[in-house]
Amino acid sequence: MTNKQLFSSYQLLPNTWDEMYSETSNIRSQYEIINNYLRNTSTKVLYKKEELSRQLFMSQGVTFTVYNDNEGVEKIFPFDIVPRIITASEWEHIDIGIKQRLKALNLFIKDIYHDQFIIKDGIIPAELIYSCPYFLREMKGVKVPHDIYVHIAGVDLIRNSDGEFYVLEDNLRTPSGVSYMLENREISKRIFPGILPKNGIRPVSDYPNLLYKKLKALSNHSDPNIVLLTPGIYNSAYYEHTTLARLMGIELVEGSDLVVQDHVVYMKTTSGLKRVDVIYRRVDDDFLDPLEFNASSALGVAGIMAAYRKGNVNIVNAPGTGIADDKAIYIYVPDMIRYYLNEEPILKSIKTYQLANSEDYAYVVENIKKMVLKKTDGSGGYGMLMGHEASDEEIADYIDTVNKKPENFIAQPILSLSTAPCCINGVLSPRCIDLRPFALTGPDGIDITPGGLTRVALKEGSLVVNSSQGGGSKDTWVIQ
Amino acid sequence: MLSRVANNLIWLERYMERGNGILSLLKVNFYANQDSPELFPWTPIIKNYTDYNNTFYTENTVECLDFMIFNRDNANSILNIVTRARENARSVQEHISRELWICVNNYYLFLTKKGLRKKLKNEDPIEFLDNLRNYHLMFYGIMDITQERGAPYYFLNLGKFLERMILVSDFTELKLTEIAKTTDKLEQSFYWKNLLLSMGGYQLYLKKYKSAFKEDHIISMVFQEKLFPRSLYYCVNKLNLSVGKLIEGGQLDKNYIEFSLGKLESTIKYTTIESINKQGLEHFINEIKQDIHDISKSINKIYFSEIT
Repeated sequence: MTNKQLFSSYQLLPNTWDEMYSETSNIRSQYEIINNYLRNTSTKVLYKKEELSRQLFMSQGVTFTVYNDNEGVEKIFPFDIVPRIITASEWEHIDIGIKQRLKALNLFIKDIYHDQFIIKDGIIPAELIYSCPYFLREMKGVKVPHDIYVHIAGVDLIRNSDGEFYVLEDNLRTPSGVSYMLENREISKRIFPGILPKNGIRPVSDYPNLLYKKLKALSNHSDPNIVLLTPGIYNSAYYEHTTLARLMGIELVEGSDLVVQDHVVYMKTTSGLKRVDVIYRRVDDDFLDPLEFNASSALGVAGIMAAYRKGNVNIVNAPGTGIADDKAIYIYVPDMIRYYLNEEPILKSIKTYQLANSEDYAYVVENIKKMVLKKTDGSGGYGMLMGHEASDEEIADYIDTVNKKPENFIAQPILSLSTAPCCINGVLSPRCIDLRPFALTGPDGIDITPGGLTRVALKEGSLVVNSSQGGGSKDTWVIQ
Repeated sequence: MLSRVANNLIWLERYMERGNGILSLLKVNFYANQDSPELFPWTPIIKNYTDYNNTFYTENTVECLDFMIFNRDNANSILNIVTRARENARSVQEHISRELWICVNNYYLFLTKKGLRKKLKNEDPIEFLDNLRNYHLMFYGIMDITQERGAPYYFLNLGKFLERMILVSDFTELKLTEIAKTTDKLEQSFYWKNLLLSMGGYQLYLKKYKSAFKEDHIISMVFQEKLFPRSLYYCVNKLNLSVGKLIEGGQLDKNYIEFSLGKLESTIKYTTIESINKQGLEHFINEIKQDIHDISKSINKIYFSEIT
């Protein structure tokens, strides 16, 4: 029996790339197997699979707690059961594109904290660097092991109506979401038994081992003490921290578990102090060391920066990488690729307007309905203005804020994110998606786990995929 | 192992053990209370497991069960205990088996499920309590077969047997207070039987001493029975074993704990029934409680203090 109802109301969005259907409404070949499977599955069974996935997330504790009136409510990051599928050639393009970008970004960070050739050569204006809140003077002249600053990156890509992948953000600080990449796959295995091997889908489960190998390579010791530093149980990504620590077999520590003595970091154990060699920190720069940054931070460790500068401990990612992941710096990444690598950028960037520039400003204000305005240091989908859905009043208010400090704002044309089929109330409907592959950089090069996290804007017509604003996720399949 | 982790492990197990003890107590008192509410009231139980600020007392069975299981203001409600057990488990997931974490997490999710609290009012209370208690039994079993015999296991056991000794001495003291109020031998025997039931030792008692309730036998069962897994004798042996393993593995400093543990051990093992009777059972229990308190304090001191 075929489930006709499931596909009955799949309405392609105008001027939008759909991952499953081509412009001529044919099923793209990579979706054929899953498509046949879904067609032969009743709505009732699909509901059951959805319920199963929810239960699995809950009982494994893949949850975050929302506190309300002292009562914690466990929430899951919504999961859509229909996978997003990427072909081998699409993936290859993404893979080499991200590698190229990260190579250039790493060189840029090193350059900025040392000789600053890129400023001297007039490629990037100095004031842009020095006015960036993510620029850390504390990192000036610091030699970092193997010159690697960004060990872990989660580059956000979107697919425009032309079918091309564009980089939205580089996420070079403490990107999260990789545990969902791992967990989503485990759940797919259970709700679509046999379908993964039939499609020849590349596995993702090697990520923790690969991460461990990269972290280990940073130390000169044969058996280094590697820890994962978490802000603690109340952090919304705490699940991810426990998962990664567990899967790598390393200790999960909080700031209060660590202490610095004579520029060496130790952890407080039941058998006394034990030296720590590598810290994979999930605490932001600002909170890392109360002696150097935010003095009221209880999440970090006093003296850790001094120990780092002495080379006694390794911090991953290096402090100060935010300088390369600021929205105003983003504009210059293609120039960086040309400057440092003498190559043309493989992945496209989105045309970005600097509001401090009067020409750009005029253009943006005139075309504001087609623009999205962002704060240069904003993230998580906050502090944005989506021109096409804002009221005149909201626009006027936003422009007022921009006028106070135009250099803190950029604008980009609103791109149409590609859509993928999602199972919504028992029928498939197109929803906007993005893609965050996770790249690991070590002395032996860059490795990108095939796939990543596909985020979905579950609200109809929405372009915001952030989990804090009604987003969900999908498993991401890359075909061999 | 991190000191914080050791502390989390101890408290994970202490909360789970306490939950199990309270559920048994509620179940046994439920049956007894239906027979003779004047002998087995709810108020002393509420009093024992709430702090000084508590003003809520009830003799309504369902109300009391609801308070002891679900009330968020009651620090020792099962819901609060399990919430804290889960938080402790959550932050030591890389040290406990995956199955153990999922067990505690599922228990928490079951307790917080919408509509569960209403069920207590309309359904068989014993089945309700048993359903909760099954999570504890599962927890014990899972820990036994999945947890490697390393430091985490011994920290968990340290917490388990410490808490169990506290529960047993609390239960005994609760009954002693009631027994002191009456001179009726039959009534007294009800209390003793009730104590054995709530500790889960009634069956063993019958096997050993038959259906005759003699105070000396019961005291020796609660305190000195080597084969009874909830006697103080058994618990102190197990506690000693865990502490010994931890000292051996360099996880615990001998000086902190050996004295108070040794003192407790000799009090339990080498006090005869005659000398207990001579000093009075209440005095004896207070002495034991003081020793347990000292041990618990010295463990907290190790893991809460700053290491310099």
